[in-house]
Amino acid sequence: MSDHTHHHDDEHDPVYFQYEQIDQQQETYVLGMWSFLVTEVLFFGALFMLYIIYRWKFQDDFYLVHEQLNWKLGGLNTAVLLFSSFMVAAAVHYAQKKRKTQQLICLGITLLCAFMFMMVKTKEYGDKWSHHLIPNKAFSYGEHHGGGGELGGQGEHAAVLPNGGKITLASGATNMGGEGASHDEFQYHPGNGTIAPQPREKPAFLKFLDGVFAPLDMPEKEQHGSPEHARLFLSLYFLMTGLHGVHVLVGIIVISALMILTIKKAPTITDYIPTEMVGLYWHFVDLVWIFLYPLFYLIPK
Amino acid sequence: MATAQHDHSHSHHIIPMPVLIGNLVLLGFLMGATIWAAQSLPAMLHSSGLPDAQISLIMNIVALTIAFLKAGFVIAIFMGVKYTTKLVKLYAIGGFVWFCLMFIMFADYATRPMEPVHGWEPEIPSALPRNTSEIPD
Repeated sequence: MSDHTHHHDDEHDPVYFQYEQIDQQQETYVLGMWSFLVTEVLFFGALFMLYIIYRWKFQDDFYLVHEQLNWKLGGLNTAVLLFSSFMVAAAVHYAQKKRKTQQLICLGITLLCAFMFMMVKTKEYGDKWSHHLIPNKAFSYGEHHGGGGELGGQGEHAAVLPNGGKITLASGATNMGGEGASHDEFQYHPGNGTIAPQPREKPAFLKFLDGVFAPLDMPEKEQHGSPEHARLFLSLYFLMTGLHGVHVLVGIIVISALMILTIKKAPTITDYIPTEMVGLYWHFVDLVWIFLYPLFYLIPK
Repeated sequence: MATAQHDHSHSHHIIPMPVLIGNLVLLGFLMGATIWAAQSLPAMLHSSGLPDAQISLIMNIVALTIAFLKAGFVIAIFMGVKYTTKLVKLYAIGGFVWFCLMFIMFADYATRPMEPVHGWEPEIPSALPRNTSEIPD
């Protein structure tokens, strides 16, 4: 209501009737946002507690299972989020200076970073899908699969049997059907009886991401440690990074909304405060990832 | 209400761009440090003859110290807590103090090594080994 607001000077933001001055009004906004962020800290905090308990209990297995995660992709995501955090801080900086074009460019780059983050996450989740590491009914973990690199390398020819065993041909006898191969050079390694599942086919829309992130691919590691604890670790991984991913999606929505409202000169955007609020939220998303990255991807032996 | 004095010098603080850029560089450096520490530090500590348990403890402390440093710089500079009022600082710090209070629940895990009663289902495939005997070991 225009009669409820008054301007101290022409350039300054309006002070609403319940406030004494603009500083008090702005402090209220920031305080409200921080109240929300504190609830978020506790929300994620409870999950970090859960993580700490199981990591403490199963230190060795958590180390073994964490090798299934690709630290390079996680590192890329850390860098992307740090940079986007800087960009959103720059957007607030320009919003305060009322330089709208620069503000929108910074917000746009933040949005691109958010999409980049989700693409990397999609690639990671897709890999877990094809390696049977999503803790659902198709979950399968154990020493009988993984380690494709080991079979292919070392000058060995090998065939994996459905029961988890494998037949290898020593490096001296490479021409399988030829006269050089003798029976002695075939070795049979019996499996542990469980059926080794083949890698699952990824949905088509995920496959182009494989090409994009090919330079950061790591060879599939052999799976060591107890399958039960692996399932626990991966459940925590999907729970916590999934919840964080939901926050990134919400971030994408609010940043887009802020950009659209700013471009359309919506009456709700009277000053830099909406940008500051979105910025605080986005920094929080970055904060969570700062802890998730070392805790999930960089577990010490 | 209308007599409010407006103090221009006390108006919202614009964080200078060089500070923001410096903070980004610092955060990038810390990110590099945490990856380097995870990749190379265990081997270095191992060659100096420390027992594995201690190396693991040191690595955890290093990783979490760097993470808290990074979080601190994000909160102080990017989120502007360094430049805000004392009340906002109180809220921002309060959340993390409250989080630390949650560690009190570890007392439960430390003081209850056994579960005195059987569960509803006779054999729950649990990740935690269950001890349902009367006497804790």
